[in-house]
Amino acid sequence: MAVTSYQAEQKSNQKKLNLIDTDIHERVMYEDLLAYLDQPYRRYITDCHWLQEKHMPYTQPAVAGVDRADAIVPDGRPAGSDLSFMQEQLLDACGHQAGILTGALDPSPSSMHGWYEMATALATAYNDWQIENWLEKDERLYGSVHIAAQDPQAAVREIERVGSHPKMVQVLLPIDDIMWGDPYYHPIFEAAQRHDLMIGMHHNEPPVYYGKWPRYFIEWHTLIPTAHMNQVTNMVFNGVFEKFEGLKLMMIEGGFTYVPFLMRKMDQQYKDLRHEVPWVKRMPSDTIREHICFTTQPLEEMNKKTFLEVLDQMGTDDIVSFSTDYPHWDYDSPFEALPPNLDANLQRKLFYENALRFYPKLKGLAGGVSHE
Amino acid sequence: MNKNALADTKREVVCHQDDLQPGQMLEYTFGRHPVVVCRAEDGRFFAFLNRCIHQGAPLSKGKLCGATAPTSNIGEYRFEKEGDILRCPWHGREFDIKNSGCMLAQPKYKLKSFKVTVEDEHVVIYR
Repeated sequence: MAVTSYQAEQKSNQKKLNLIDTDIHERVMYEDLLAYLDQPYRRYITDCHWLQEKHMPYTQPAVAGVDRADAIVPDGRPAGSDLSFMQEQLLDACGHQAGILTGALDPSPSSMHGWYEMATALATAYNDWQIENWLEKDERLYGSVHIAAQDPQAAVREIERVGSHPKMVQVLLPIDDIMWGDPYYHPIFEAAQRHDLMIGMHHNEPPVYYGKWPRYFIEWHTLIPTAHMNQVTNMVFNGVFEKFEGLKLMMIEGGFTYVPFLMRKMDQQYKDLRHEVPWVKRMPSDTIREHICFTTQPLEEMNKKTFLEVLDQMGTDDIVSFSTDYPHWDYDSPFEALPPNLDANLQRKLFYENALRFYPKLKGLAGGVSHE
Repeated sequence: MNKNALADTKREVVCHQDDLQPGQMLEYTFGRHPVVVCRAEDGRFFAFLNRCIHQGAPLSKGKLCGATAPTSNIGEYRFEKEGDILRCPWHGREFDIKNSGCMLAQPKYKLKSFKVTVEDEHVVIYR
């Protein structure tokens, strides 16, 4: 009896891509963080059994909860917790040139509404763990600086501490109850810009429903883009990109098909209401096209015609970047998720060049790479 | 695929029927096709192309389970078809193995299926 494997089948049937994957979730176990935590924070976990309480009422969307069932490590550890298995199942199988790690959000320093000291210690430990166990063990992997944004001064110190690491490419901000355009975050933007780091936004426990959870997961998952729309609108009209002219923003895991609507709506409002925000000097859609990139996943199923129409309505195909969201349940395959028979030049942009252009610290990848 | 290859893969014995218990799945390569053989709770066998029609995920890594029945009563959960529903390991799409592999949410879409018989206590697959 012959047994097939997904990886073998994929390798044989698909040509390799030049791919920068802009959303990969590595996962830390609490016990893995201990070696990177100073006292007294370590003992709160070892002696007092501290763990971060999460509030999502539904974690059952698919066969293995929020993960791909086949991404659980063969020895039973959670999906995303083993580098070699991730290499085999994702990086090698798909032919990644680079992948941006975005964390598993548990523990999630930025979503702690109290005990800022613990959140700051967790962020520091997480970054050190990430660098030592992932970034420095696979040349394809790049990382995100995790911060406790509840304490902006501490967050800036953490960016200063690890932001210059050559493989740290962005700072992850939480979606929480302070919008990103608020001056509260400006010291973080300033530090990120100083270190050539993008700002990455990935939903965590987003207040997409008046700050609460909708009744069903299917509602929450449908409405994730609304949280992204809030942040983009807020940042643009609060003049963040006028103040920080070099700042780039990566909107992760909200898709991009809402962008044409948002551009039109913001431009229309700007024509009528510019007087309220005189610090905004350009049409909002122009600012978006210059400063913001959107990852593809979770991509709605579209035929080629519809897909191209969405890009056309954005006025550019330079601000969308492919992401898998591995190892989560709504993973998008780089071989299957996009409509078939896209123009080779467009594929190059979506899979590679757009991310390369946005992330200042990926510039080193530019040499020696050709796309089939 | 050439004609000889087609002829070679027309009928194959997959396993002894006791090798696959109710509720279990088996991966099998039929010619060049990856196949998932499923055994329902009532003991019957079904076989499908082992690639989800959505994004090609290996269905054999998913789960044979039941499904919540459609209802007109908001908030009512009634679980049915235990062992008859093949759920994709990635996005969790549900396919009814006893109804030609039709997708529950959109029955007009279905998995590619293969004929399966039990002959002399062995599971045999045809294309």
